[in-house]
Amino acid sequence: AAGMAAPTMEERKACWGARDEFWQCLDSHGDDATKCEKLRRAFESRCPQQWVKHFDKRRDFLKYKKKLETEGYHPPEAAGKS
Amino acid sequence: GAPRLPLRRRLAVAGAVAGAAAAGWLYLRHEKERRRRALRLEQLRRLALGQGDFQLRDTGGAARSKADFLGRWVLLYFGFTHCPDVCPEELQKLSRAVELLERDPALPPLQPLFVTVDPERDDAAALARYLRDFHPRLVGLTGTAEQVRAAAAAFRVYVSAGPRDADGDYVVDHSVLTFLVDPDGILRDCYGRSRTAEEVARSVRAHMDAYEPLPA
Repeated sequence: AAGMAAPTMEERKACWGARDEFWQCLDSHGDDATKCEKLRRAFESRCPQQWVKHFDKRRDFLKYKKKLETEGYHPPEAAGKS
Repeated sequence: GAPRLPLRRRLAVAGAVAGAAAAGWLYLRHEKERRRRALRLEQLRRLALGQGDFQLRDTGGAARSKADFLGRWVLLYFGFTHCPDVCPEELQKLSRAVELLERDPALPPLQPLFVTVDPERDDAAALARYLRDFHPRLVGLTGTAEQVRAAAAAFRVYVSAGPRDADGDYVVDHSVLTFLVDPDGILRDCYGRSRTAEEVARSVRAHMDAYEPLPA
């Protein structure tokens, strides 16, 4: 088995809590990460690096999904017609 | 001329003929339905033999295959212990659904099952540690890479381990599905992330109520 043991339930909840605080900060600062650096560092220290990556991707996905729901889908410009 | 039957008698004869016709039609319909069910049963028997079998080990080290769970309803989830959020949520949901159904003593027992998609890290000890936080009767299964691959394939579960980082850590991308298997070993339903514990419990209950054992 590789390296570290899986996070326990307590560790998971601490990580999710730190993530939620960071995201709340982003929400109230229009996604300006420079305003939330302290919470970002807390988030990164409480969660395995792989989870930080995973949650960053999830945040992007949730934002994209919200954008689709509010603005609708705009297909990217095609380079050439077939 | 020939004597005519009285009106009442003629109505009685017409009624009897109509009744016989209706009975004949109902019988034919019943026969067609019976034949359709027999064919379906044959298909299901063949399906039950080959479908969704696995050769794995539980957290006590004992070998387990699908045959060990026949006679019981099974709610089965594929995941891994290093999972960031989805697996704990789905296991929480699965545990809650089982709890809800346990409240009704008239229902048959439901066996919750967890199969790892990360056998490299999820050995018996890791699984036991992880599953402690969920339903007490939740059984965890692991095995060799090949056994786990075969089990996932048997349920058409997509599994893809991601790249390792500097610490050797990685996440495993996988289908997020909870499967319901009946006491004959036949797959009855599958539940995705969007279903709540209450919805899963309701659906399982409906399947249990509708269940007819495969004749021997």
